[in-house]
Amino acid sequence: VSRPAATALFFTSPVRYADGVRLQEALVAARQAGAIPDVVLFLEHAPVVTLGRRGRQNFLLAPPDQLARQGIDFHLASRGGDVTYHAPGQLVLYPILQLGGAEADSRGYLHNLEEIALRTAADFGVAAHRRPGKNGAWTEDGKIAAIGFHLKRWVTMHGLSFNVSLDLRGFDLIVGCGLVGERVSSLQRLLGDRCPRGARRARPHGRPRRGRARPAAGPRRRKSSNDWKNRRRNFQRLEICAPGLNVILSECLPEPHERRATWHAL
Amino acid sequence: MSSCPTVGDSFSAAEEVAVVESVKAASDVYAPISGSITDVNKNLINKPELINSDPFGAGWIFKIQPDDESELEGLLSYEEYEALMPDEE
Repeated sequence: VSRPAATALFFTSPVRYADGVRLQEALVAARQAGAIPDVVLFLEHAPVVTLGRRGRQNFLLAPPDQLARQGIDFHLASRGGDVTYHAPGQLVLYPILQLGGAEADSRGYLHNLEEIALRTAADFGVAAHRRPGKNGAWTEDGKIAAIGFHLKRWVTMHGLSFNVSLDLRGFDLIVGCGLVGERVSSLQRLLGDRCPRGARRARPHGRPRRGRARPAAGPRRRKSSNDWKNRRRNFQRLEICAPGLNVILSECLPEPHERRATWHAL
Repeated sequence: MSSCPTVGDSFSAAEEVAVVESVKAASDVYAPISGSITDVNKNLINKPELINSDPFGAGWIFKIQPDDESELEGLLSYEEYEALMPDEE
């Protein structure tokens, strides 16, 4: 069995934010040490409000104890950016990539994360665009994807969240990304019945590229869902193909139901 | 600058000292050598852009008293670092 250059893990049930951070931190340390290949986590979070490095308490419109009463977690996050909201129905992409080397470029990486969001929206017929000074992906109806990441010795953590079908009222609890008066949207709002069912059906477009920003290519055809299904492998094969990864998953997410995921090599 | 050290803090070489945030990215800054912090540039908290506009002057981040001056020999000079950078496209 050949070792993949990178591995994608798709979590099939919502991940608590704290568990996601613990897992990412362990993966970053292993990636820095060269013990594992690049990994991209695809998941949905249990409801949570997080404050980034620039996040200010006054962007919270409900105090943490009120959030807790509504079953919403609250965390300070090490990523860049301000406040945001995650919940099931939002696809979260956490690439753990070694950007090091001659092409390492933080701004290019940001550009590429945006590109993933724009192309993913385009795959579903939604026109999204960049806005100068307001990073993320924007549609005519508001912001559909938010970005915030952390570089640790040129290894990335945190990443991108893309609104598919989550209840957008969660964003009423915050001033999203500290942008006063800006709307938040989702595929569901924009597409109605044509929205894919469940966030996992809307996988982001391809693998985030490293290095310098590249000009946008034309829209590519999405792989059919059958193709994705055919690529699914028994999760236990991960032990053979990426042994370090399997150990980290077991350590960070001790309960088997927490690490319920499928994976494939990129 | 979203996180900075306190005067008197000691760090080992390669330990995380500070965090710089640019737009949506937070990046760790590491101690180049072992030592203790003697001064921190508080101007960066409100004017982080100084790191870009004047990296060799007003954009300094912290001053560190070396524990072992021989560690300085392991660092790169400006010219050596420049040579590692890819050519601008």
